[in-house]
Amino acid sequence: MLELTAIVAEVRHPTAHYRVIGFHAPAIAEPVRAGQFVNVLLRPGPLLRRPFSVYSAVGGVVEIIYRPVGEGTALLADLKEGDRVSLLGPLGRPFEFDPDWDSVALVSGGLGVAPMLLAARDARDAGLRVTWVHGARTVTELSPESAGDRSVIATDDGSAGHHGSAVAAVPDGVGGVLACGPNRMLAAVAARWPDAQVAVETYMGCGTGVCLGCAVPLRAGGYDRACKEGPVYRAADVDWEALPSHLHYAAGA
Amino acid sequence: MSVDMAVDVGELNLRGPVVAASGTFGYGTEVPLLERRALGAIVSKGIFLRPRIGNPPPRIVETPSGMLNAIGLQGPGVEALIRDYCPQWAAWDFPVLVNINGESAVEYGELAARLDGVPGVAGFEINVSCPNVEQGGMYFGNDPRAAAEVTAAVRRRTRLPIWVKLTPMVSDIAVIARACESAGADGLSAVNTFVGMSIDLHTYRPRLAFRTGGLSGPAIRPMAVHLAHQAARAVRIPVIGVGGIVSADDALEFLVAGCSAVQVGTATFADPRAIARVHDGIAAHLEARGLSSLAELPRYLPRD
Ligand SMILES: Cc1cc2nc3c(=O)[nH]c(=O)nc-3n(C[C@H](O)[C@H](O)[C@H](O)COP(=O)(O)O)c2cc1C
Ligand code: FES
Repeated sequence: MLELTAIVAEVRHPTAHYRVIGFHAPAIAEPVRAGQFVNVLLRPGPLLRRPFSVYSAVGGVVEIIYRPVGEGTALLADLKEGDRVSLLGPLGRPFEFDPDWDSVALVSGGLGVAPMLLAARDARDAGLRVTWVHGARTVTELSPESAGDRSVIATDDGSAGHHGSAVAAVPDGVGGVLACGPNRMLAAVAARWPDAQVAVETYMGCGTGVCLGCAVPLRAGGYDRACKEGPVYRAADVDWEALPSHLHYAAGA
Repeated sequence: MSVDMAVDVGELNLRGPVVAASGTFGYGTEVPLLERRALGAIVSKGIFLRPRIGNPPPRIVETPSGMLNAIGLQGPGVEALIRDYCPQWAAWDFPVLVNINGESAVEYGELAARLDGVPGVAGFEINVSCPNVEQGGMYFGNDPRAAAEVTAAVRRRTRLPIWVKLTPMVSDIAVIARACESAGADGLSAVNTFVGMSIDLHTYRPRLAFRTGGLSGPAIRPMAVHLAHQAARAVRIPVIGVGGIVSADDALEFLVAGCSAVQVGTATFADPRAIARVHDGIAAHLEARGLSSLAELPRYLPRD
């Protein structure tokens, strides 16, 4: 893990709903794996860093994707090329690719698309066929980008693709399942595929394992740390009833 | 830099005045980019005799210039602490104090007795000020008799240095400070977090599952400086100032107000190098003022 000052390399608005910002940070871009995150410090800005899944890592640039909803993300939206931020990363445990799989489904809801471009890259590196499954509330909230050999879209209101949830739209017969999205969606993933790997979202204080603020309730009892043992978990290991599904800065994710 | 930053806090000789606050540095083994040269000491995360799972999430929420936490003293219990962490501490060239907790004075005493003599344990910080547990915690810290009883129970079981971590949630901190001094404390850490609450307007419920939490960060600093000053005026033992320190100037405020040392907590979350930054900034301040040691820093400490 590194702490470094990174220069904003690019700012993109792929759709009205999403923004992407890229930081020049080769030392993080090189080792980062899908599911890992960076903790971003904005000055001036809120007291604590804000965790973001790494969206892509190409040419030494680490990209994150977000929606400007809270104090931290509104300030992110003000950043321009050449501005500086402090990044801490890569943090957390990444998705793992089982050598027995021949294919993998990447299932995301809304902003849960964040780790999936990297997951597609890592899956292809592992020699897997990739089924990309993405859902949102409505067509305008769908992710701007997709990757994979085959792509399935779902919307809650039926305005594009399957009418219903991304989880229901996943075809049968996929090898592994990797998922990210609102915690209630991940609970549905756990019900269908107990062995799926899911990237959960929690509030974080430090992102480095010292504050115990990012507690994830476990079915086996007790809590562990989303920033250290997570954010990727075996779906059936999480006590979904006890994991808060409403994070105010992630509203509408 | 030629400035002498060493400081004696009671019998503990620290190479610098900046200490890592309990609960914000884990057990000292997890913190990335740790710059040990600048660490005066570490106070480890609060521990009980037995393992504790802590409170349900959400456990933290950011507030203006601060954060509320209700971790609930999650920890592995004393036996795991001795097995997994003390051997590492024993190899370090700065002291580690263990933040000890209990549901009764007897439990605090037993915990101290179990840890006394274990290599790596340099002293204790008695936590009578945690706002996030149902039993004990802060309730010992806002009654002078209970605070003294806990301090005395620990004193009977160890000769190692004992600091008592005071709660700000009292009407007169001087009374508690004197009670702990009389009961045998070697130092006082002032202060722990202030009790606070934040409401989520999406759910119309408290943001923290525990309902309330402890407020830390710059939001509490002026109140913490005042309380540390009040405590320092009331006792002869050293006071370690805690609350909202982000910069060297913040730490210098506590030192001038009568503290012997300071602790940095929440600031470490945003800046893992905060302790080194504060340490170096204090040294630079002293040098710029032509002072050759921390001991020469002018203090404002009128005695009661
Ligand atoms: C996440 C968190 C956990 C804490 N855990 C403990 C603890 O276990 N024992 C204790 O005495 N104080 C604990 N504290 C209080 C701090 O040690 C410190 O007194 C307080 O945060 C004020 O200092 P600061 O503003 O520099 O953080 C904790 C604080 C935070 C933010
Ligand atoms: S965010 Fe602090 S331990 Fe995970």
